Amino acid sequence: MNTKSSMLPKALRYPVSAYDQKSAMVFLAPMMLVLMVIAVFPIVYSLWISLFDLKLTRPNRAPFVWFDNYALIFHDPMFWSSVGRTTSFTLMSVAGIMFIAMLMALLLNEQFRGRRILSTVLLIPWAIPYVANGLMWKWIYDSGYGALNGLLFQLGFIDKYMVLLGDVNKTMFLITNAFVWKEVPLATILLLVTLKSVGADLYRAAQVDGANVWQRFIHITLPALKPGFMLVMIYETMMAIRHFDLFFILTEGGPAEASHVVAWAVYVETFRKLAFGTGAAMAYIMAIATFMLAFFIIRTMGKKL
Amino acid sequence: MNLTHLGRRALLFTASLLFITFVLAPMGWLLSSSFQSEAEITSVPPHWLPHQPTSQNFAAIFESKDQAITYENRKEGDTASGGFIPSTAKNLLPSMGNSFIIAFAVVVLNLLVSVPAAYAMAKIRFIGRNASIYLMLTSRVIPDIALVVPFFLLVQKLGLLDSKVSLIITYLAITVPFSVFILLGYFESLPDELDKAARVDGCTRFQTLTLVYLPLALPSLVAVVLFTFLTSWNEFLLALMFTQTTASQTMPVVIASFASDFNISFSFINAAAVVAVIPPVIIAIMFERYIVSGLTAGAVKG
Repeated sequence: MNTKSSMLPKALRYPVSAYDQKSAMVFLAPMMLVLMVIAVFPIVYSLWISLFDLKLTRPNRAPFVWFDNYALIFHDPMFWSSVGRTTSFTLMSVAGIMFIAMLMALLLNEQFRGRRILSTVLLIPWAIPYVANGLMWKWIYDSGYGALNGLLFQLGFIDKYMVLLGDVNKTMFLITNAFVWKEVPLATILLLVTLKSVGADLYRAAQVDGANVWQRFIHITLPALKPGFMLVMIYETMMAIRHFDLFFILTEGGPAEASHVVAWAVYVETFRKLAFGTGAAMAYIMAIATFMLAFFIIRTMGKKL
Repeated sequence: MNLTHLGRRALLFTASLLFITFVLAPMGWLLSSSFQSEAEITSVPPHWLPHQPTSQNFAAIFESKDQAITYENRKEGDTASGGFIPSTAKNLLPSMGNSFIIAFAVVVLNLLVSVPAAYAMAKIRFIGRNASIYLMLTSRVIPDIALVVPFFLLVQKLGLLDSKVSLIITYLAITVPFSVFILLGYFESLPDELDKAARVDGCTRFQTLTLVYLPLALPSLVAVVLFTFLTSWNEFLLALMFTQTTASQTMPVVIASFASDFNISFSFINAAAVVAVIPPVIIAIMFERYIVSGLTAGAVKG
């Protein structure tokens, strides 16, 4: 008992009861086991694998190469161009998501008939599998018979059907659009919660002071939305960086590597070239980059947690 | 005053219309084209609503089971008549069965793991409490693609490739941090006095959890069940890596395999996609309230 209370931080005024400590350990044990599997094991094992020249095409010979895999990746211009594509995909997606989600949240924050229906319908894109989402957009984007071409044609914007996903200048925008459509609902919900926390008094006071709709939006709504925006930005940035499914379904990194993002590169390295060493190294770089980003964001805004 | 009121109504109506169009138009087009024959689907410009609605695409999913795909009948069904169905079509129903079994198992195990952990972190004072919360938070940041190589080698070593067990374990690992996160927030919002009262009345920790807190935490449990189910039902990357045959292939893997088949009719793919989204859409509509409260609770604290 004595040793136990001496280990306690000073902030804990009462000693932890031995029974509580024991039951907490028992209650936590299964989760700890799971966290070992998802966090500790992959971090350690990935790093270990990434130090070997392990190719499944010749599984019996895997020499230890120190950090050669990392050097290889960092000297590969292809890697840097995929980093560029991931960055632009992330920036475009997050900007699009935040903008559309803001408009939708502003609408849902109003009181009117039919609001319930809108908020129910909103969840549909969030709930469906990414694979189904990908197939749906692949069909919409189809160059021969797709709905997008059909719509543009019927509205008179184009004279004849155009190549869409197969066009290097269009493909990333189209994939971004499919991603944004699926991610907007969650962002809207998060922004809506933030909006709800703004007191109606504030608006009334501003109205009394003669502020018009636009001024109220700029000076009350936008600043109030800031925490919501930060949250959405963090979450969607992480989602966009690691996103794989749509690239697999829609383009497989093509055409001519126009959509060869880092997540896709890891997949190709690992399961097409069967180079597990470099694949693990690349995934590790990605994980560390994501970690640093998360750490940076938590340090800058996570004070209130 | 009346004029601004009318203007407000008009604005809200227009905005709602845009909202609905943005969310539902792609889904509507998917649904509409799943009821069109291949001949109709390839019309230029497209038929926004089927002129001759047909259920043959759905029939193909449910009948393909007994039909052996041979070179002859594949050749017979030409693209224009909609007879083209992929050789993997017969895998769709078994794969949905797999998806259900896996999702169900993950949900049950997830609750068994997350509930006691969240309760302990929320209500029990013990050494290592902060450390376990930080570990849990950190594990939410790891991208799933970084798990692929270590998980694959582990699963291969254990001889669990192409088995449902491998997916159940990995999905459990993916979903637990988020579940604990939601439950932790919820347990923390319940009063500590309940805990003390129950303990004074002679309840063990286990009884305090099961008899006092669990009934109160029901809404968050529903949210956890829904999220875990949807994550398992929708997950694609790991399923793609670990599965090879109908013994373990989940629905997203089979559906995705249709997309890489060049001969396949889009009308059939559309029908398959419609079938795949039915369970999530039903869940989303039925449990909207729980999902929204769970999502906000899960994210706002993060």
